[in-house]
Amino acid sequence: MESRPQKQKGTGSMEINCKMLLKGIRPHSLIIMITWLLLASLFCNSTQDGNFKEDGVVHCRPQNITVTASDYIILVMWQDDPSCKSVHDVLTYELEVLIADKFVHYEEVAVTPDQIGSPHSWNWSSHLATECASHTLKLRSRSQNRTSQWKVEQIVPGHNHSDLPEVYPRDNVFEVGSSATFCCVLPMGQVLERLYLNGHSSSKWDVRNISSHTYALTVDLNRASTTSCTDIICETKTSENGACAYIGYPPADRDLTCETRDFQSVECLWTVGPNTHLAIGSPTTYQLLGSQCADGSNGRCSHKMQVDFGERNWTLTAENQLATVVLTDRADLTNRVRMFAPQKVQVLAVNSDNVRLQWEWAIRIYKDLDITCQLNISDGETHAVRECVGVGLSLAVLKDLIPNWTYTVTIRCGTSRHLWKWSEWSSSAGFRTTGDVPDALDVWTQVKGSQTIITWKVPLAKQSHGDIVDYEMTWAPTSGGRETARVMHPEHSFALSLDSIKEYAVSVRARNQYGSSSPSTITIPVLNTGSGGVKLSRTRGTNGGFNLSWSASLTASCGYIVDWCPAVGPCAVDWLRVPPSETKVNIFSKNFKEGVRYLLSIHACTHRAPVLLERVEGYVKEKIIQDRLFKTLRWKQRDMDVEVSWDPVALREQSAFIRGYSLYYWDNIGGVMNTSTDNCQATSLTAKGLQIASYTFTVKANTAVGQCGATSITATLNSLTDNLIKAIGITLATIFVLLCLIVILCYRNWECIKLKVYPPIPMPVLKDKWMTSLTKQSCHRVFVEMRHHTEAELMAIPVLHSKSEAPATDRVDRGNVSSQTTNGYHKTAVEKLRASSAAIPCQAPLLPPTLLSSSSAVKDGQLNPSFNLTPTDSNGYQPQKQKGQPEDVPENPLPCVLTYILLPQLPSE
Amino acid sequence: MAERRDPGGTGGTAARAAAVAELLRVESANLLELYRKRERLAADVIAGDGRLVSVAPPSARPDAADKLRRLHAALLRCRGLMESAVAKEDEEMGGGTGEYETLRKTVKERLSSLVNVAGELVKAAGGPAALTPTSSDGSEPDDPGVFGLKLWLFRVYAEVDFWAKTAVATFRALRNARSRSARSARR
Repeated sequence: MESRPQKQKGTGSMEINCKMLLKGIRPHSLIIMITWLLLASLFCNSTQDGNFKEDGVVHCRPQNITVTASDYIILVMWQDDPSCKSVHDVLTYELEVLIADKFVHYEEVAVTPDQIGSPHSWNWSSHLATECASHTLKLRSRSQNRTSQWKVEQIVPGHNHSDLPEVYPRDNVFEVGSSATFCCVLPMGQVLERLYLNGHSSSKWDVRNISSHTYALTVDLNRASTTSCTDIICETKTSENGACAYIGYPPADRDLTCETRDFQSVECLWTVGPNTHLAIGSPTTYQLLGSQCADGSNGRCSHKMQVDFGERNWTLTAENQLATVVLTDRADLTNRVRMFAPQKVQVLAVNSDNVRLQWEWAIRIYKDLDITCQLNISDGETHAVRECVGVGLSLAVLKDLIPNWTYTVTIRCGTSRHLWKWSEWSSSAGFRTTGDVPDALDVWTQVKGSQTIITWKVPLAKQSHGDIVDYEMTWAPTSGGRETARVMHPEHSFALSLDSIKEYAVSVRARNQYGSSSPSTITIPVLNTGSGGVKLSRTRGTNGGFNLSWSASLTASCGYIVDWCPAVGPCAVDWLRVPPSETKVNIFSKNFKEGVRYLLSIHACTHRAPVLLERVEGYVKEKIIQDRLFKTLRWKQRDMDVEVSWDPVALREQSAFIRGYSLYYWDNIGGVMNTSTDNCQATSLTAKGLQIASYTFTVKANTAVGQCGATSITATLNSLTDNLIKAIGITLATIFVLLCLIVILCYRNWECIKLKVYPPIPMPVLKDKWMTSLTKQSCHRVFVEMRHHTEAELMAIPVLHSKSEAPATDRVDRGNVSSQTTNGYHKTAVEKLRASSAAIPCQAPLLPPTLLSSSSAVKDGQLNPSFNLTPTDSNGYQPQKQKGQPEDVPENPLPCVLTYILLPQLPSE
Repeated sequence: MAERRDPGGTGGTAARAAAVAELLRVESANLLELYRKRERLAADVIAGDGRLVSVAPPSARPDAADKLRRLHAALLRCRGLMESAVAKEDEEMGGGTGEYETLRKTVKERLSSLVNVAGELVKAAGGPAALTPTSSDGSEPDDPGVFGLKLWLFRVYAEVDFWAKTAVATFRALRNARSRSARSARR
């Protein structure tokens, strides 16, 4: 390539050389010279034939050359010389590019004979912006190995010549992953300090000098601009400046889909590709069928045109400076109709369980389409969708609605044939159905003691269909009269005392302003035997509830009922009905509490009374049992073992199933030892092989959530010798105390004992001297008890008894005194009575004394003369029974008593 | 003349001016920092020398009224620059509704408010309404490229920040001067 211009120069110099050969040649050399001349002439002619043989070609050269440059792009346009029309072969234009006078590129442009005469253009992207260095363009034509002269054009960068460095290119767009060269043109006299891309790694940067004041930086652009653009900064010691580069991605939109809504326009949707990061530098523009989309960045564009039957291509282009993406969708849009939503939805007629709706269409052509509509009915909590079909459908009736209930309804439609997409939902229309009688109640029963509680679930708002007023309950045995009761709302249970040997049918109806519901009947069986014979198993709660399953029962003709209550404490039964086809259920209740044991019963629903099938107990979640679970923890040493025992744990204190117990024990020296049992009924554990030391015993309950309820006691073990000594000491002390008690008792009851052991020997009764003997006998008893009295005093007693003037108060006083000092009493009595002994002779016969009353009164300290003196019907004398009789009263003062009794009669005498 | 002796005007206006200046100082500093981070500009990247806004140099011994007039003139110029900057940025970069755009709008409105209240003070001081800034270098450069636009925006925000600080200092000095004169009057 380089040789061609050189060859052209070479031809010109050969012409000059030929003329010089003719001057000053010697004759002897003439032949040789002529020969050389001929040869040279031949050579020159042969050479000139190539350039000048066909004059028309020589003049075929480019003309009217214009060169424009923009950043990296050089655009060259030229025309053929008119002489080129004579060329009948391919005409080739050669182009060379030099940057800063250095060759960088060569390219040929072929022009076919039919193109000759029309303008030509060529563009080329330089690796260096045209602002960075001068670009020289050379152009010439060639045909049949003959070339024209080079035409040279030069692009000289025009700089601002400011005091600041200038960075080029400015504000260009680059694709991530490409490589780019930036240059910095320094002001005169300044030295480059740094040239870099802001936010990019500088490890592979190649900064090179292009000219004395221009530097270039080639960078691999591996990161998209995160801000508006990426800065290229050029710094000198005294100043700095920069330029922006937009680094991003070409558009990557896909999945074009076109449709029509009204047959008058086409609307296309597509998936917008990832962020190009060129929203500012080169935002993606969209064209649908050649028309600009107003805002294609949201993946939607429409174009007005009549939609006809038949398939065709629908084309969208997405374009930014980096690339153009063409998306095509082939479809018959008459099969892709996305209708507009129904308008003006109206409620025409509202009843208790149905309603009629009507709407309009915005597009006239819809009235001719076969339309399917979906009606979405919502009550705020739930919703249901119903479908209607019809040509130009604009009316629908909704059935099976809940009476006295508020609904909103929205509608969307699509073509029945080739349903492409549903329309948007219409605006909603609201209505409230009229009221009706309540739904039948859900009734259940619960036995509490002797009472049967009939309970039912309060109807929900959607079941009451109005305002519940009350409930009417009737019950009757299978053979017997019917009874009725009315329960006011919101009460929802009623206690019945039923005859346990009869079967009852109980019916309950709810009543609102529209009437009564149909009755719900439950049969109460003959004998509520409770849960006897039904297995009780355990379950574990899951997710705050219970997952129960059971074996199917043939008796469960109408399904199953599962009810539950806390195992301890007050119970408001709750229940759940399960269809006959199912034998498992998840039970959840907002009333469930963790750490509370629940008792769940599974009943078979029959046409008569429910049948209890199974019982299950469990916790929705077991909780750690609080410490100090064992209220009374005791210990007992047995040899070198210690038995720790406790009272059974109350159920209400069990927040988890107890699966056994563990006993931990340790002394101050050794480690912790333990023993345990899996018997949840155990009430003791024994720590064996202990030593004489102080031990701490801790009992814990074993549960699924760990060991808990820890309770501790401390005990000091004694040696066996100590125990023996202690036992002997205790025994001796016990014996001593017993002996003392015996002695005291014997001392206090010595007379009685003596009387028992050595009863007095009665003296023989002499008929003539009965009085004497009697007196002796009587006084002997007194004497026995009061040995310090003289015989003379004792002998005066009969006389004493006959004393009639003894005042009651005196007797009381005496009695009081006697209760304190026995001796004093007798002495006083004897002295008082002695004076009157002569006046009243002792006439008493041998009669049983009524002194029982008197003595009894004395014993109680209530000596009442009048009471004592009241004659009584004495049934006999029983002195031995007067165990508590005061000692000052003779046990057998028979003569005296008789006299004493007679005293009250004295006044009447 | 009495107003000239009290260039701060009514105490209420001066106090309001000081409060607005203080708010602008905080907000413009925030805007400057936010913009610097947003565009990842190095802290020392401010191409070109000198200030964008400058007013006639003060007389040998400028009084408070002179200072007020100079400040008012500078703030007026800042407001013009700020409006141009916002418009140009929206035109070149597209508008937005993010934190930056909100703060930019706040600063612009606060600056406008400060210009008004400073104008009231100048008026109260009895001087000419405002001085004309001597330099028009702050105008948007011709064909700056996006990078040049960014730098210019940064310089505009820096200028607003500078004059907000100046306003705070000026109003503080005015208040101190008024306090001193009030004390001396009491003596």
